Parts: sequence; C-alpha cells; structure tokens
Amino acid sequence: MIETNRLQNLEASEQPAVITLSGVSFGYDPKQPIFQDISLTIAQGQWVSLVGANGCGKSTLVKLLNALLPKSDGEIVVCGLQLNEENIGSIRQNIGMVFQNPDNQFIGATVEEDILFGLEGLCLEPIEMGHRLQVYTDKLGIAHLLDKHPGELSGGQKQRVAIASILAMEPGIVIFDEASSMLDEGSRNELLDILQRMRAEGKYTILMITHDADEILASDRVLALYGGGLAADMTPAELFSNDDLLDKCNLRMPFSWQLARELQKVGINTDVPASEKELIEKLWP
Amino acid sequence: MSSEKLLLGRTIETGSWVHKLDARGKIIGMLLYVAVILLSHSWPAMALLAVFSISVMASTRIPLKYFVKAAKPLRYLMLFIFIVQVLSIKEGEVWLTLGSLSLHQDGLRLGAFSVIRMLFLVSFTALLTFTTTPGKLNQGLEGILSPLKKIGMSPDRLTLMIGIALRFIPTILDESQIIMKAQASRGADLAELPLKEKARMLVSLLVPVISSAFRRAQDLVYSMEARGFRMDAPRTRYHRLRWGLADTVFICMFVVMGLAVAIL
Repeated sequence: MIETNRLQNLEASEQPAVITLSGVSFGYDPKQPIFQDISLTIAQGQWVSLVGANGCGKSTLVKLLNALLPKSDGEIVVCGLQLNEENIGSIRQNIGMVFQNPDNQFIGATVEEDILFGLEGLCLEPIEMGHRLQVYTDKLGIAHLLDKHPGELSGGQKQRVAIASILAMEPGIVIFDEASSMLDEGSRNELLDILQRMRAEGKYTILMITHDADEILASDRVLALYGGGLAADMTPAELFSNDDLLDKCNLRMPFSWQLARELQKVGINTDVPASEKELIEKLWP
Repeated sequence: MSSEKLLLGRTIETGSWVHKLDARGKIIGMLLYVAVILLSHSWPAMALLAVFSISVMASTRIPLKYFVKAAKPLRYLMLFIFIVQVLSIKEGEVWLTLGSLSLHQDGLRLGAFSVIRMLFLVSFTALLTFTTTPGKLNQGLEGILSPLKKIGMSPDRLTLMIGIALRFIPTILDESQIIMKAQASRGADLAELPLKEKARMLVSLLVPVISSAFRRAQDLVYSMEARGFRMDAPRTRYHRLRWGLADTVFICMFVVMGLAVAIL
C-alpha cells in the first residue's frame, strides 16, 4: 500500500502543477510573521496532508490560496492563474473548501438551499443545477435529506452536505480544513471513504489539514509546518518513522504502526504495516 | 431540541393548492387579509370572516389544531384586551352592575370582536409560514420589494440578511441553552434566582452568546466567500417564481371578502 502510494506520488509529480507558492509570508502584524518564505508545488491529482501543531498557521496558509486572507508577501499561482485582485473570482471557482465546524458553513435553511447557494452564484441554468443537485446528493448519500434543516441532521450528515455543496461546484482542488475533527469515529471513517472515492475518480487535487493518523496515512504526501516554515515534505511512511518530527507536530503514529513497533521490541518481527488489517494478516497468515 | 418547539417559521408540507401558490401572491393575500379583518365591524361580517378563514385553512389540509396552536401564546394578551374593552366602553344597554363597575352591551360586543379578530389574524397568517418554505418566502419578499431597486435600495441584501438570521436563530437558541446549562452546572442556576439577580445573570449569558455569534459569522463569511459569493454579483435562481391563474384567484378572494365585510 505504501509502495503504491509512492508510485502514485511519482506519477503525480509528472502531472502539471496546480498550486505553486513561492516565498509566501503572512502575519497579521508584519513584525510578527506567522510563517515566512514558504515555497512549494502541488501537482494535479495529488492528495496532500498538511500537518503541524495547533496554531502553527495551517489554516491560515490554505486561506491564502483563495484570498480569504491576504498574503503579506510572495507569489501564489493556482491552476495557472496568478493570485491577484482580478483573478480572485476564477481562483475561488477552482478551489472548494470544507471547514471544521459543520454548523457554521451551512448557509441555506435546508440542504437543498445550501447546495444551491454556490450553484446560483455560478449563474448556472436551472436545468444544470437540478442535474448537479441530483448527481452530487446521490454520490454522497444525502438525496433523502434535501428538505431537512441543519438542526435535524447529525454532524456527519452536515459535513457530507458541506462536501456535496463544494463538489457540486466542480472545483479541481478541494481543501479540507480539519473537516473531520468535530466528527465521531463512524463519520470520520465515512469521510475517509469519500476521500478515497474522490482520489479514485482522479479529478481532484486534495489538500487536507489533519491531525488524524489514518487520514495522513491514506494521503500521497505530507507537508509539515513548524516554527513558521515548512519543516518537511515527505511521504506519510517517512513522517511516521521520524519520531522527532511527530513530536514537533504533536502527532501520533497510527495504531497499527505503534503495535508493530512494540512487537518488534519483544522480538516479533513484522514489517511496517499499512493498516490494521494488513498487520492482522501478517501475524496470523 | 428547542428549535422543534418553535412553531413559527415551520413549514408543514401537505402539497395542497395553497402550498403551490406563488409566495408573492401569498404575502399580498395576507396583507389584504389584515385589511379584511380591520373592515369587519358586525356580527354577520364576523361570521362570514370565520367561515371564509376556516375554509381556507381547511383547504391547506393542515390539521386545524396547528393554527390554534399558533395563536395559543397570545391567549393572555387576548384576555387582557377583552377585559380592557369591556371595562372601558360605557355605551349601550347595561347588563350588569357591580359597585362602580358596569357591564355594557357594546363593551362586551367590541371586546368579543377584538378577540375574534386577533385570533383569526394570528392563526390565519400562520398559514403563510405553514405553507411556504423560508427560502420561498424570502424569494417572494424579494420579488415584492424589487421595485425598491429603482430608488437605489437593494432588496436582495435584505432578504439575504433575513435568510441567514432565520437559519441561525435555532442554532443560537440551542447554544444559549447549552451555556445556561453549563452555568447551572457550576452553581449559577438562572431558574432559582430572584428577578433582580436574574437580570444581572442575563448579562453573563449574553456575552458568551454574542461573542460566539461573531465567531460563527466569521466562519460563515469564509464559507460564503470560498463558494464565490460576492455582494451584488449576478445570480441565477433554481426555483423561479411563477404567477399563475390560481394566484390571481387567491388575491381576488381577499378583495371580494373585503368588499363583502365592508357592506355587512
């Protein structure tokens, strides 16, 4: 699994870049920058995890990409468009964003209205809106909830509505800003499932801020922010073998990795597993 | 959940002909209904009003008890108005005298009229929110206010504001409940305090509720902007308002009623 991740990573790096940052800095107060001189490139179709301790500026960094916050310095290019005053509209069409709190991103009074909010802003024809409404609510399994109020939905359902609202606008890049952190375990697994399917479709570049080990492990590449700069750009496997970095980013190893390590300490040799299932299969073939 | 207790603004879907009417027609109809009520001054007019109102309410196929429930919170106000009317109007035949107080026929009649009017006003206009989703209602309001664009005002801003307010009222109410419980769990129970202390405690409830509302607002702005929202930018509509024959009939019904009660 990790090998295939690497392969995908290699393939992806041959794809054209959709996000390029060069020398980007940001600070509310110019004397106290939150981060400085960040340069990176994300290729089309990649699934990238952005990790780091709370308050290190992960959310701020992704908000610079579609100008929700104004960068202090540097250059940002999204889908070949230089980020500036004139291009903000087109860049926002290319980037969809799912936020942490499922309640606060629910704009409409019902599920249908919430999905339509973005589509009406794109000035689509009613026939096209109806079509997308059907396709994306089916895809996320919320077609039966169309006339529900946010108060009648669970956290996981609300987050699926948020994702449907974003995907219906058909952006090439989807950013998840700790989208699973307020969800329970079951809804979290559902979200991971949705992400896997999005990757399989191959249409989306995914940038995901997360603290969840399973989510990081599922991605192609990890970017770690630490001390106002980019501390690492590596594969998830490399991240989880680097104790120092895990410590800096306040991250925990996936459970299967921890277990494998403990087993190795007592002399039971297991390779590093990609998942719990793989570990079980290795131990009891 | 507290939001479920709020009957106001809850749509009850039955698919009746009233549900299918244009929201603009329904809003205009309700305004005309207020005029009809104010024009009703006699027992025959009241009777006609009752027959008309109840048959329209019944035609929505929503159980009548919901309409009664909508008026229920105002029962004490109605009683108060009745008593004031009865005691203050000293005209017509005297029916009963108790010391300095006397009960006059006209007082009783006008008191009863006030109560009937209020009852029908509140329960009948609930029909608007029962049969129209907030979104459609808002769109109807935007349609009615659209002439304001000519004098440089922007009705879409107003309706966006109303839409977001309606969307967040239940959320913020729920949150106030949670904060109240959190405070009660630390020994500051609002329910057990004397009135003066209650007022003081209310401040300590309002501060966290308002500050969290601001935080929500910031999140909401991010979410709206990320979905490409710009104020006054052109938008298309998925649901278009369509004025049909039924809407004209609906309006005409109220005009005819107005004429009828004015004559009676």
